[in-house]
Amino acid sequence: MFQFVVDVALRACDLMLIAVGMSAVYSLMKFPNIALAQYAAMGAFLAIVLQRAGLPLVPSSIVAVLIVGVVAVLLNRVLFERMLAIGSSTAMIGSLAVSMVISAIFLVIIGPSPARFNLEITRPLRVLGARITEHQVLSLGITAAAISVFAILLFKTDLGRCMRATATNNLLADATGIDTRKTKTAVVAISACLAALGGIIITMKGEVNIQTGLDLLLPVFSAAILGGLGNPLGAVGGAIVIAMAETLITNVNFGPILGQDLVFLPAAYATAGSFVILVLTLLWRPRGLFISEVKRV
Amino acid sequence: MIEVQGVRAGYGDGPDILNGINLVADAGKIVTILGPNGCGKSTLLKCIAGFVRPRAGDVRMSGTAVTNLKAHEKVRSHGVGFVPQTDNVFSSMSVTENIMLGARFVARAEREQRFEALLTQYPALAAKRNRKASALSGGERQLLSLARALIAKPRILLLDEPSAGLSPRMMHEVFEAISEIRAREGICILMVEQNAFEALHISDTAYVLSLGDVAMQGRASDLLADPAMRSLYLGGDAPH
Ligand SMILES: Nc1ncnc2c1ncn2[C@@H]1O[C@H](COP(=O)(O)OP(=O)(O)O)[C@@H](O)[C@H]1O
Ligand SMILES: [Mg+2]
Repeated sequence: MFQFVVDVALRACDLMLIAVGMSAVYSLMKFPNIALAQYAAMGAFLAIVLQRAGLPLVPSSIVAVLIVGVVAVLLNRVLFERMLAIGSSTAMIGSLAVSMVISAIFLVIIGPSPARFNLEITRPLRVLGARITEHQVLSLGITAAAISVFAILLFKTDLGRCMRATATNNLLADATGIDTRKTKTAVVAISACLAALGGIIITMKGEVNIQTGLDLLLPVFSAAILGGLGNPLGAVGGAIVIAMAETLITNVNFGPILGQDLVFLPAAYATAGSFVILVLTLLWRPRGLFISEVKRV
Repeated sequence: MIEVQGVRAGYGDGPDILNGINLVADAGKIVTILGPNGCGKSTLLKCIAGFVRPRAGDVRMSGTAVTNLKAHEKVRSHGVGFVPQTDNVFSSMSVTENIMLGARFVARAEREQRFEALLTQYPALAAKRNRKASALSGGERQLLSLARALIAKPRILLLDEPSAGLSPRMMHEVFEAISEIRAREGICILMVEQNAFEALHISDTAYVLSLGDVAMQGRASDLLADPAMRSLYLGGDAPH
């Protein structure tokens, strides 16, 4: 049972940072930037490349996260701002196209085989009967810390106030002396950094390949929508719900129901889980699960 | 002080909405812009505030050309406070947060003091300081937006139909608040109004726009007495 909690937490933390980033960007830019899932993979690849070049893991990761932030700001200035001037659906389709291009670039530069960090393999710990590795514990800790820092930024700093004001009412924010373009640029950078960190955390627990970004897209998008797009902290809850659904689908033994000993659904069905949740959310709670309780940002 | 010289403006590729407007608003005065719906009053205010870039002409504030400055730059460098016609509060944020957002450029020590002074001034807001702005009535929102602009100590205050949709009592209260601001702060107040009669009573001068042109202008008291003005905009004949 505790293993289930651990599995859900681990999966949720795979999705959480990217989903929070996607939601934060949406709240200011008013379009879901699909490329965020690719920024996650980009962060992981860059960190691996830097580590192979001789940098220790932590500085590699920090540099990779910052580079992704800069790339995101450039893409935003060069592409997304212009596409947004045409319309938010244009920008969303554009971000899908950018994702495909990034995938192609990965294929050319890195090739189809998966890449890993050079990490010491440690024996799994036993906690209340559940198996968990040190790296998994670390990934939970980093995710929790990143979310906390982001929440403090959002609610306790001047930049956070400007972000929330711009998200609520762009024109009035301008009329209040907030440089809304600068604020949006900051959010684009912060969310890309969150996504890149998310990608690094996923890779710490396994590997990254050219498909990773696209595989993350559906569950991350579902988590962000479930949390109410534009409500970044809602995406935390969204990620947990999606992780629960996926874990239930893959970890539950359907054997007893079917009169056999062991029947597990293939892992590929997990995706179907997030897809079903996405469709149900769009039908019944299009503004997310938490709209009445959580302050919309 | 604001000077608008020959401003032409419109939206996107659309036609000119303003066809060369000239207007002056002095410090310590209330200047009202009147005119029928759709004649370009809000567009003119947005040009002055920096949301619409004029296609021709100049906007000056205290003698400096500010025609091409962005809205947020005018707030900081020329002390512009703007209360838009609609959506003029941060609806998902609290009353306190709304006001404090206006105080970002005010020295920390002064912030609290001005905040408390404003709440004393507007008790309707004080009672709801922790409520979300979306929970306020129309009149309270108007006051909130005014308070958000005032806490920054503006030198120029642009108000777009501050009395729109208010009950007569609330409208009176808002106009009272506006003329108090002039008396107290000596700033330049430029407002767009539909309630011409009440607005002219607290104004010094007024401009009447018609389809993007200034059709009439003059001292508010003269316009109030003008028979043409009376029949067109004030809903009645001049007293005989
Ligand atoms: N954002 C906009 N885009 C295009 N046209 C607009 C926009 N805002 C206003 N207009 C048009 O400009 C004209 C003047 O509008 P406005 O300045 O709001 O008038 P008023 O405030 O006097 O009622 C109207 O014909 C209106 O349809
Ligand atoms: Mg108007």
